[in-house]
Amino acid sequence: MSTPTPLAGRLVPLRTKDEVRASLETQSAYIVEVPAKHANAVKDIVQAAIPDFKTSEISHLRRVVQFKYLPPHLQKQFHPPTRLPRGDLDNPATVLLSSPPSTSASPSVSSPTPPPANADDDSAEHFDLVRYFLLCPTKYIPHADLFALIRTCPPFDAKNVAPPRVFFVTVPTLAPISAEQAATWSEVYWPISYKNTNPYGPHPSLVQRNAAEIEGEAGGWLALANTAGQQISEKCLGESIGVVVVDRTKETPQVIAVAGDCRWRSPTGATEEHTGTGNVMAHAVQRAIAMVAKKRLRLAGTDPALLDRSLFCDSPLTEVEKEYYERDNIASSGYLCVDLDIYLTNEPCVMCSMAILHSRFRRCIFSTRMPYTGGMTSDGVDESPMPGGLKNGLFWRPSELNWKFLAWEFKEDDKDQKEIPRFNTLLHV
Amino acid sequence: MNPEERAYHEGFMREAIAMAELALKSDETPVGCVFVKDGKIIGRGMNETNRTLNGTRHAEFVAIAGILSKNPIKILNKTDLYVTVEPCVMCASMLRQYGIRSVYFGCWNERFGGTGGVLNIHSDPSVDKPYPVTGGIFREEAIMLLRKFYVQENEKAPEPKQKKTRELKTEILPMDIHAPKSTPSPALPTPPIVASAARH
Repeated sequence: MSTPTPLAGRLVPLRTKDEVRASLETQSAYIVEVPAKHANAVKDIVQAAIPDFKTSEISHLRRVVQFKYLPPHLQKQFHPPTRLPRGDLDNPATVLLSSPPSTSASPSVSSPTPPPANADDDSAEHFDLVRYFLLCPTKYIPHADLFALIRTCPPFDAKNVAPPRVFFVTVPTLAPISAEQAATWSEVYWPISYKNTNPYGPHPSLVQRNAAEIEGEAGGWLALANTAGQQISEKCLGESIGVVVVDRTKETPQVIAVAGDCRWRSPTGATEEHTGTGNVMAHAVQRAIAMVAKKRLRLAGTDPALLDRSLFCDSPLTEVEKEYYERDNIASSGYLCVDLDIYLTNEPCVMCSMAILHSRFRRCIFSTRMPYTGGMTSDGVDESPMPGGLKNGLFWRPSELNWKFLAWEFKEDDKDQKEIPRFNTLLHV
Repeated sequence: MNPEERAYHEGFMREAIAMAELALKSDETPVGCVFVKDGKIIGRGMNETNRTLNGTRHAEFVAIAGILSKNPIKILNKTDLYVTVEPCVMCASMLRQYGIRSVYFGCWNERFGGTGGVLNIHSDPSVDKPYPVTGGIFREEAIMLLRKFYVQENEKAPEPKQKKTRELKTEILPMDIHAPKSTPSPALPTPPIVASAARH
């Protein structure tokens, strides 16, 4: 056999649907300025008033923040911190900070105006004493109700105390997926608490470990997938789309199946007119999965043609398909495509993405995205005819579907992004 | 849905259930379907995943493989599917790519349903024409068939779970508790049987 030249490029992990959502979604939240000592009292009263609100929802956001740790735009907005009683009666600072007449007389306590000149002396001290307390997302309670509620909490329930300052800030709705994202968000939104996990997708270290295992070979398998697509399209039986199934659990990787697209093959084996969808069930992924199953049947001593139907096109048709189909290299104890990897020339359609999921594949790697029809990616392009793409991200929907796996896009070096595709971009792969 | 329409759809769903019962006897996941054109059944299918060791050999694939061996693809544009369990995400996409006219099903599939149970592949924005779906026709029968299967042994599954202690439950929760995960599309009425359009 002639081994095709491996493609040169790198693996880029696909973003999960939840990761894409987490990176984009923000909401509005209330911040109240409180003396450090009173933060807990305010928290308890607010919590009691809004039983629907669960703090776990905002556990990725720091709850109580000092002025100096606020992001720059909020420091500017909240400046200057209000003079408030510290709530510590034994501390002489209480006297100093309990609204001297000059401050309470000022009409602008709750608006961000420069501090009065006579406040300069002790302003550094206020900066340490007040805290910015993140109460809850604004959807839980109207501003006026919240304001009234805080008015009942110390120190705001006392006479001669400036009214509470309640601000609106924009915060990320969901937790960050990496330390980098947490750092950026802390700068542009609100201080973030990052727990070194990724709740919305595979842990970065898991993805990295798996990528390291396969990145040296991926280009080779993808070149083989290209060959499969070329051979079948030369026979006019399908589009130039190919798939390679690899067993990487042993020391020497084994190619279990190679299949090309077969949508233009008629039930009798002739070439059909290339109009419409063609035979959807003969997409390369479906054929490859069927070939894996047939190899298992053969190994078990069962007739591989059991319940076969010509429309499934699951017998090898080209040289490269035959070569790998004939090898008895599949593990005898296996189930479906558990532990196997699948390499594709193109992002599979929704049907084929789900077929990969049903078959319990371990990893999926494809070369070219299919922005309008692909079922794996979650971050589609914003172009007509279908702005946003499908955004199904089927490889990682663990709370909804019964299997998940890792998926990468293979970015070829020096490949012109505007290269003319081999076929209609609306095609289902 | 008027009584006449209901009887029409239930008649074909009975045929689909017969296929599911056949699957159960063959140690296959009991899902069965029939495809109907002009009031006549043009194809039947049942799950064949266990015998073929192929997790994609769902009833819909099996039936369409039969239909398209004798008919052009465009026949599906005038054909309705009756299937005992909601089509999975894979089958929902396959049916949409082929241009099925409409789909009627028994129970929802909360693990990987593609027409309202988990995702809405039939109606989501896509380059393919959407199709209407109607769920809940003989829902209880479809659920009971699946439960009967799950108390049987599945020899093909790895590390078989201890099934001897399993018992057949017969209580079926009402719809509001057993509801689909996603918001049903307008084409999918949630309470048991409502025709999506009077077309027969």
